[in-house]
Order: sequence, then C-alpha cells, then structure tokens
Amino acid sequence: MSKSSLDRRTFLRGLLGGAAVSIALPPLDIFMNGNGTAYAAGSGLPVRFGLFMWGNGILPDRWRPTGAEFDWELSEQLAPLAGVKEHVSVVTGMEVRVPNIEPHHATAAGILSGSPLILEGDHRTFSAASIDQVIANQIGGDSRFKSIEFGVDVDKGSSYNGPDNINPPETSPAALFERIFGGSFRLPGEDAEPDPRIGLRLSVLDAVSGDIARLNKRLGATDRERLDQHLTGIRELEQRIDRLANLKVGEACAVPGEPLPAYPDIDGRPQMAERNRALTDVMVMAIACDQTRVFSNFFSNPVGNTLYRDAPAGHHQLTHDEPGTQPEVHKIVLQIVEEYAYVVDAFSKIEEGDGTLLDNLVLFGTSDVSFGRTHSPKDFPILIAGAGGGRLKKGYYYHSDTEENASDVLLTMANTVITGNGGIPLSEFGNDDGLTQSSLGALEI
Amino acid sequence: MLNLKQVAVAVSAAALLAGCLESSPAMVDVSEVPLVPGDAAIKRLTQVQYENTIEDLVGDDIIVPASIEPDLPSDGLISIGSARTTISPLGVEKYESAAYAIAQQMTVSDAVMKRVVPCEWGGPNDTGCMQEFVESFGRRAWRRPLTEDETASLMAAATSGTTGLGTFAAGVEMAMAAILQSPNFLFRVELGEADPTSAGQNRYTAYEMATRLGYFFTNSTPDDALLDAAESGALLNEAGVRAQAQRLLDSPRARDAVRNFFAEYFELHNLDHLSKDSIVFVHMDKDLGPDAREETLRVVERIVFDNEDYLNLFTTRETYVNRRLASLYGIPAPVTEGFGAVTLPVDGGRRGLLGMASILALQSHPIATSAVLRGRFVRTKLLCGTIPPPPTGVNTGIPEADANARTLRERSKVHQEEPVCANCHALMDPIGLGLENFDSIGRWRTHDNGALIDPSGFIDDYEFMDAWDLGRLMAEHPDSPGCLVKNIYRYATGSVEEFGELEAIEALIENFKISGHRVQPLMVEIAASPGFRKVREIENE
Repeated sequence: MSKSSLDRRTFLRGLLGGAAVSIALPPLDIFMNGNGTAYAAGSGLPVRFGLFMWGNGILPDRWRPTGAEFDWELSEQLAPLAGVKEHVSVVTGMEVRVPNIEPHHATAAGILSGSPLILEGDHRTFSAASIDQVIANQIGGDSRFKSIEFGVDVDKGSSYNGPDNINPPETSPAALFERIFGGSFRLPGEDAEPDPRIGLRLSVLDAVSGDIARLNKRLGATDRERLDQHLTGIRELEQRIDRLANLKVGEACAVPGEPLPAYPDIDGRPQMAERNRALTDVMVMAIACDQTRVFSNFFSNPVGNTLYRDAPAGHHQLTHDEPGTQPEVHKIVLQIVEEYAYVVDAFSKIEEGDGTLLDNLVLFGTSDVSFGRTHSPKDFPILIAGAGGGRLKKGYYYHSDTEENASDVLLTMANTVITGNGGIPLSEFGNDDGLTQSSLGALEI
Repeated sequence: MLNLKQVAVAVSAAALLAGCLESSPAMVDVSEVPLVPGDAAIKRLTQVQYENTIEDLVGDDIIVPASIEPDLPSDGLISIGSARTTISPLGVEKYESAAYAIAQQMTVSDAVMKRVVPCEWGGPNDTGCMQEFVESFGRRAWRRPLTEDETASLMAAATSGTTGLGTFAAGVEMAMAAILQSPNFLFRVELGEADPTSAGQNRYTAYEMATRLGYFFTNSTPDDALLDAAESGALLNEAGVRAQAQRLLDSPRARDAVRNFFAEYFELHNLDHLSKDSIVFVHMDKDLGPDAREETLRVVERIVFDNEDYLNLFTTRETYVNRRLASLYGIPAPVTEGFGAVTLPVDGGRRGLLGMASILALQSHPIATSAVLRGRFVRTKLLCGTIPPPPTGVNTGIPEADANARTLRERSKVHQEEPVCANCHALMDPIGLGLENFDSIGRWRTHDNGALIDPSGFIDDYEFMDAWDLGRLMAEHPDSPGCLVKNIYRYATGSVEEFGELEAIEALIENFKISGHRVQPLMVEIAASPGFRKVREIENE
C-alpha cells in the first residue's frame, strides 16, 4: 500500500433510489477523534487495546521472572517471549480481589472487570462490563467496528457489556476475514461499484428501530435492557454500513491474505497455533486499517479441556490431576505463551508512523486463574505488550510485594488507551472489593 | 447402608396401584393448586428454533444461513439462556445477512414469491397487494396480527424497495428483511395481560399461548391452526389448550421438539465437537459424536412416542446403532445401512442411558474417564441434586497410576479420605466409579492399567453392583421421575421454577407417577397447568 492512495477524496455513496452521487470530502481525517482533534501525545496515532486470554492459568513458581525493572530474565514459562522480550512487560504478585465464589469464573470476572461474578444456581454472569468494552465504550465510536471479538478454541468468550450481555467471539478465521475485509470493502483508489442497496438496508433498519422502540414501552426493566442492546447493535450496524461506503483506512492498511476455509482438528486435537495465527493475521490488518481499535482474542476457555499438541490429557484435567511439578501443564503453558509471542511479533512487523503498530498498542495477556491446580487469585499472570503510544514502559518487570489490587493494572491500561484517543481518563475501575482508584504507576511513563 | 429391596417393593407396589387405577386415575387437578406464577421474559429464538421457524414460514427448500447468533445455555438449558440473553452487535450483522439471504431466495421468481404473497400483484406500485402480503406474512412471522403502526412501518420499508429498485419483488424483499430482523420475530414476546376471569392475576394472551404451545410442542412457530385457535379465543381456557397440545403432539414436528428437549437436557449439542485423541481411540472420528447423539435421541423418541415408561430409559436394551456404534459396542451391526434397531446382549454389561456412548464420552476427559464428571451428571442432571462449587486453594492433584494404585478408584482415594474433598466428592465419585467399565468414548473394558475394575458404588444410601445395576437403581430412585418433570417444566417455561411454583410442580410429579411415567401426558399436563398459562404482572417503574 502506498500512501498516495489516501489522496483520493471522492467517495461514491449509494443513496435511496439507487442514484449514486459523488461527494467531495474535506482532507482526510482518519486519525482525528470524533471531535476532530488530533490524538495527543507524540505520534498523533490512536492507541489500541487488545486482549489475549487463555484458560486454566499458569504455574506461578515457574512463571515469575528474576530481576526487576528493566533488568530481568525470562522465567521457564516465559521463555517463548525471548524474541519479543523488549516489547513485553511482566507484572506478578498482584491479587484479583473479587470474592472467589466459583473457581475460574469468579477470577475471570475479577481480572477482566474488577467486579464480582454473579452466581445464582447454575447461572453465572459477569456483573459489569469487561475491560475491552469499558475501553470500547470510550473510544470505539471512532472506527468502523467498536470492538471485535474472536477466539481459537472457545465457546462464549468473556467480553461483557453488562450482566447476561455478552459479545460472542468469532472462531472461524474465514468468517473474521469476511466480516472485516469481505463484501464491498475496497481500499481507497480501488474501483468501487456504488451499491444501490445501501440506502435500502438503512430504510429496513429504520423499521426495525421503530419496532424496538414500540416494544420497549411494554417491557419490564430487565427485558428493556436486553432490547436496548439490540438497538445499540442496530445503530452500530447502520454506522458500519455508512463507514464501509465511505471507507477510511489507516496508512499501513493492506488487505491480508484470505485464511483457509477451515482448520479441522488433527487426530482429535485442535490446531491451536494455526488457528491463532490465521485469526491474528487478519486482526493485525484490521488494526492497521483502523477498522477497529479494540479486539479480544479468547484463546481458550476457562475450565477448557483442550487437547493440546503432544499433551497426554485435556488441559483442565491436567491442571488438577497431574501430580508433582506438572511437567505436562508446563508444556501447555509454553504453547500458549508462544502464541501470545506470535501476536506481539505480528504487530511489531507492521510499520506505522515512525514506529510500528506495537508502539501504539496495549496487548493484555492474562488467564482466568493464577495457579490452575488451586484456583488461586493471587500472583496473577499479567503480560502487557506494546508502548501504549509512548505512555507505558516497555520490557519492564514489576513484582508486587504487597499483593496489590489487580484492578490497578486494568485502570492503567484503560486510561492509557482512552487518553491515547483523546478521551478523558477514568477515575476508578471495578466494583466492591475489586474497586481501585489508583493505577499502577510503576508501569507508566 | 440400606439394601434397596424395601424401596423397590414400594415402587413396584405403586406401579401396580397405578396399573389398577388406569381406568380412573386419581390425578391431581393442577389448576386447583396454589401458584405464584413466574416473571415474563422475552425469549430469543434458539438456533434450532430460528431454522425451524424459517422453514415453516417459507418452505424447507430455502437455505437458512447456518451462522447466526450462538445459543448461550444457562442453568443447564438453552431455553433458559434464551430468556436471559440479548443480541450482540455481531449477532445483529448475522441476522441481517440471514434475513436478506432468505428474502432474496423468496423473491427469486414469481412462483416462489407466491408462497408468501397471498394476492395477484400488479406493478411495483400495487400497494394493496403489498399490504396484504405484509399483514399475512407479518402475522405468521410475528405470531400475532400487526398493529396499524407496524403495518405502516413495514409498508415504508417495502416502498423504499419498490421505488428504489423498481420492482414489486424488491418491496417484498425489503418488507421481509424488516420482518425477519425485528425483535417481534427474533424474540418470542410473551408479556401477558390482565386475566378477566380471575381478578388481580395476569395470563398470557391467546396469541402468546399459541407461541408458547408452538415452541413447546413443535419447537417452531405456531401453525395456522394454532393462530386461528388464538384468534377464536380457544387458547384462553384449559380445554382449548389441551386440545391444541394433543393435536400438536400428534404432528411430525413434535418428534423434533421432544428430541430437542432431550438434546438440551443432556447437553448433546456438545457432541458436535467431541475432542478425543483418535490415535488412542481407533473408533474416534468426527462422526462418532453425532452418531452417539442420534442413538440417544432415537431411544428417547421411541420411549416418548410409543408411550413407554420414561424410566425404561435407564434399563432398556432396545437401542439403535449404525456400523460405527456397533463396532464400538462390540455387537453385530444392523443389516441395513445407517441406523437399525438392536437388542443389547443380556450379559454385556451395557444398557440404558448410562451405557450410551453419548453420555459416557461427553462426561469424560479427552483421553481419560472421569468419575467426577459422570457422577456429577447423574447427581445434578438426572437426580436434580446440587453440588457446591469446588473450594479454592486446595491441592487437587491425584497420583499417577503406579503399582499400588492402578485404577481410578484407587488413585482418587484422596477424594474420599480428605475431609475438605469428601463432602462433595461423596456425591459424585461413588456414582461415576460405577461407570469405569466404559472408557472415555464408551467402549467396554474390564481392566484399567492392567488391574481389574471394581464397578460397585452407591448413591446416598442405595447401593449398586455395576453399571448394569446402576441402571436399575436409576429407574427405582425416588428422585428420577421428579427430575424429568422439573426439567421439562423449566424447558417449557424458559426459567428455573421459583418458590411459588413448587407446589404445582409437586402435583405434576404426582400425576406423572400415576400415569406410569408417560411423557406425552406430562407435556399436556404442563401446558394446561397455570404455571404455563399465567404470568406475573410486569412492573414498569
């Protein structure tokens, strides 16, 4: 992709009735926020947030690095980060403070939302939005997709807008590609046929919005919230239709290669690495093209019993049943960290501005528990890759000797991304025991 | 521990009594039992309901896109999750794509379009015929007549199509796309109204009853007869509901609906992605899970529609296998291609639900078996017991097999010996260990790591000798019938029963027992019961 393609200033827009008209636009303002002001602090490029979450935790004794600050050595479990160590900060010793009322699920809610899990019988849900959505609610309006959720071997994921209000992940690389780069996606400069159906789709969505408004009046409070989410979805779809027809892309944008139609299991084992890499390759370009600024990769399920390459049993089973130092669990953690490293590396390879995409990213790697065997909420695994637009230290190691609140890290990341998009920082993160009003200053520049 | 003989005698005496009373069963009148009805909640169509509904609306040759918003089971049932979940932004996109894919297939030719357009249309400006279409298709799709506002709004969408693209078909397409993306279609809107026959109470409206009956008995949208019964008011009284329930039970779709209930109940959808190492298990391939599900669903379908005693599910030797399952079970394959009826050998150790590959494989790890998962399934799903979540901060490791402890029973002794484990594991392990003669995909075995398996166990005070005997115990266990009733009730209402519904459920359980555990009458009883027909008033603050 050359920059010259951005000079194209006329966009064809399909209008009601099929007539196409050319509209002259003012100079491109891709990296302006909604108010038309440029993104503050240095590069002038927006900061993006990514989540990489896996199930069943780590082995804390083999996870913790040695050393401190900028002078530290990778641990056994972090060895796969060797090639990207300079970009990754490691935080250990933090505690997820929400009540640990149900193994895995309570601490998953804690590390992603800083808020307690709701558990009634066999019904469980986060009680508050997860960090990806907290951030997306502040900055997501500026890009075509407010956020994008996907996963490798996962069912419902953990991206919550609120209680019982989930953003299910896409698991097919081909479907993810189609969603972002398929249909009438055309890079500026490429021939685009005006689509007379765009206006019609918007008219149809008007009718649907009207239905929602009429129905809403008859509902109780809980149902009204559910339908409000439907309406939000309709509004976002309208916006996406409009933004696709008037596409703006980031300077490093290129359409990625199309993934394989399927990545079937081999000998009963999912192709975790291949699927992760195919999804990541699409996602990296979705970020480079500024189609979204928030993404979540739900790599594997809490309590997930994925049969990893070479493992003698399912992951979750091994974390509990394997005696001693758990060499098999260790090997699985290595496979997972290797995939996190792949994501870091992929973002570091795309140039943007004077640096790379990674300079303007906050990539949060974590799990649903610390030590899987005991479901520990202490010494939680936290990885942060990317410089957050120059706001975060890179390649830094911080260990909390005082079991500080893990929500401090959430507040740090959220505010890094929010201010990196010209937004107003949050004053607190989480609820109840997980609530914090202080960010983790050690990570910040 | 008690021997079960006394209980067994009591149970068979009750069965005998039920047999004697068959001519004049002493059924409890559920409508006379005090009830505080549950809350109203809109329910998002499940994936299967969406597909069935589209098929019933437009014909089964129309391809329904497979990728729509995924179901989110809650409290063990997809149908309960459907009453809690919303529609995500990605879901909105997928429903939009699906709506256009369907609408475009329906307008591809005049012949196809005539299926849904009830009048002869003229040019693009034939608003009279367009309105007829909108009103008739809207009534089917939204399961009630449209209001004037709604018709006007859909006519606007249609007009944008006819003026924009210049054809009548484009108007039909746009109106249909709007109807199929509407919350009135994607959600079952069941809110209730004041009940004029009992002051201070609310009931579901006639059309809402049509919807509830349609999805309960056919897992699909109400048919014309049901909507007509709603229009006539027949669904507002118990007799009218019973008549329609019985009619629907006799329709072919009822079989799908019953299969769907049991698939949800036993979580058989997870068999689509069964993860088992195919190097360890030569029988494993991607079809094993779906085949195992088919076996289970064929057996429940027969039990329900041949009016067998539901408890046969735990002891039956009459099952259905194809070559793959026959090979797994080590029995002769049916002579015909595909599935055929077989009788499991009387000395084979395998019978009933807990001898089926579906349950045995699902409630196992990818390679190893799990007494915990299997025991938990029996305890929570089949007996409706509760088990607290495992504690945190406990070392959960169990030793690897060695010369002193080769079988799972020996290796997991710690579950029984450590007080912190024993309280809960006593509820699961002694049941699951009884199924150790089946490996993690359900193949029979007598030894584990070279040691003879001891398959004896107990459920609370009731002992059993092996998996075969566990089947007998499940059929005799006092909680088995009630647990099915509770699950069908939850499935039908889309919610977990509240305190105010318990007495009514007890009455339903009583009647189920009196009927000799016949599922069809149970479904009719549930539909006719106030718990299915009444609803709490919506608080609109």
